[in-house]
Amino acid sequence: MLRRTLAAGVFAALSALPAFAQQPAPVPGWAVGRPEGSTLAPHAPRLTVTPPDQVPVGSIRLPAGFQAELFAHGMPGVRTMVEGPNGTIFAGTRVIGRVYAISRNPDGTTRTRVIAQGLSQPNGLVMIGNSLYVLAVNRVLRYDNIEANLDNVPQPVDLTAAFGLPTEQDHGGNHHWKFATLGPDGRIYTNIGVNCNVCNTDREVFATLVSFNPDGSGRRIEARGVRNSVGMAHHPVTRELWATNHGRDWVGDDNPNDTLIRVRRAGEDHGFPYCVGNWADPQFNAGRNCSEFAQPAALLGPHVAALGMRFYTGTMFPEQYRNQIFIARRGSWNRARLSGYDVVVAHLDAQGNVTRLEEFMTGFRDDANQRFLDRPADVHVLRDGSLLVSGEQMGAIYRITYRR
Amino acid sequence: MRVLRLLAAALLAAALPGAAFAQDARRGADLAAHLCVNCHGADGRSQTQGVPSLAGQQTEFITLQLILFREGIRQVPAMTPFAANLPDRDIEDLAAFFASLPAGPPDDREPRDAARFAAGQALSGPRNCAVCHMPNYAGRNQVPRLTGQREDFLAQTLKDYRDGRRIGADPQMNGAVAGLSDADLIALAHYLAQHD
Repeated sequence: MLRRTLAAGVFAALSALPAFAQQPAPVPGWAVGRPEGSTLAPHAPRLTVTPPDQVPVGSIRLPAGFQAELFAHGMPGVRTMVEGPNGTIFAGTRVIGRVYAISRNPDGTTRTRVIAQGLSQPNGLVMIGNSLYVLAVNRVLRYDNIEANLDNVPQPVDLTAAFGLPTEQDHGGNHHWKFATLGPDGRIYTNIGVNCNVCNTDREVFATLVSFNPDGSGRRIEARGVRNSVGMAHHPVTRELWATNHGRDWVGDDNPNDTLIRVRRAGEDHGFPYCVGNWADPQFNAGRNCSEFAQPAALLGPHVAALGMRFYTGTMFPEQYRNQIFIARRGSWNRARLSGYDVVVAHLDAQGNVTRLEEFMTGFRDDANQRFLDRPADVHVLRDGSLLVSGEQMGAIYRITYRR
Repeated sequence: MRVLRLLAAALLAAALPGAAFAQDARRGADLAAHLCVNCHGADGRSQTQGVPSLAGQQTEFITLQLILFREGIRQVPAMTPFAANLPDRDIEDLAAFFASLPAGPPDDREPRDAARFAAGQALSGPRNCAVCHMPNYAGRNQVPRLTGQREDFLAQTLKDYRDGRRIGADPQMNGAVAGLSDADLIALAHYLAQHD
């Protein structure tokens, strides 16, 4: 397996040269290290509208006192969520290339509009004042005064050149979609995922978390050795950056873990591709001692695909959830049995150490039949303290409330 | 304007609670008779150069591609007017119809050329075709069936992937054919087109 992967790596490095038919091909990025005969493959997306009576809100299980309702639906591929000053929820997607706007009607129902489309993986959204920033791979578009213009969206300001993010081609099509968040310092934080499943790469570019001034200037590396983060948030009190991070594929069902990382110092190294916590990569460790890298704040489970995360800053939920981290786990494909497909809470002590993971929102994973009903991709705390959870497979957003 | 049109389609679909969403192949057949069969063939086996056969194709693949056409993410001028306003329900019914037809080669399939077939076969292993398309090349879910496909369409598609003119829902195919020569791709297309 090692030899095959190395050969593929060498081949990829030489791919500018004429190829010979006998040479091994670059294995699809997600399949590097795939064992012979495995039939595991990424799950197909569902990009058609799911009627509301087929959205599995009734299957959701929550702790006592919590209720789930359908907040909005009919938005295929819905993932990331941000909120405008007037309460509009903007939602990003990947394959379907759309950005949705969800506004609330006076009667409590929601109205959904498509405000941008035809973009490549517009998964990174940031709201700064009245401007919506959309990060679509390397494209950065700024929609000014967006909430006042939902029916007649103006041409965005194109900041692509200023940000200078790697293109889809630079990534070789791997982990090129963005998550983005606004820091308490007013900067835009985003991920630059690794350009492979697992490989030696330019660690000053790929597998990093970076931040920018909103005009694209002042690029700073916030963390290195972070394979791919599709969720991050700053602690509301300490202002530290926390992020979810995906582990590589094809090292068995139980390794490595997806992780929750805490960035204590800008630029610190979290170990990819050498280590995940104290787990040494069997192919890419390169003799490195895992203790030399920043250790994860929590292990989130192998292959669970931990995505969006937010600190709970509302007051509707019981006090024990205050400033704790809600994490959407979109669910596994690179594993014999399904795992994830839920929302967990990482509970922190006063020093910010994770003391336990609570399975908070479950019911989408059908263990008996090895199928799933929906895939949580992001969470968002509304001003009333309720929690939105996006369900990518069903194109729906759920709202979680608490009543004593 | 397109936003509004799409929105209308989305709202229409969303406003039909309880509407039958089971895919309806018979309705798909009626739609296809007006929209598709002129080019793709009455039995879903294209007799037109450069136009793919759809008979026996994976439903999720057809659905995904029609949505990518509709959204302007996959751009093929010949398909644009047909896909531009297509509601989800039509897409799903069309996919169900074509998936229900028996796959098979076009009438004008070339006889097997032993040398090209062998060259294509030699590439198929190292290029991992069967990993996603399955060992019998029937495809699965969002990964298309290759058996029975037109050789000219396969060859053009492989070139488009290699040259970055086509990008799928993910770019795996671009990686899979990177660095291959025209002759390699022609051989691969011939090998794949000979499968039933």
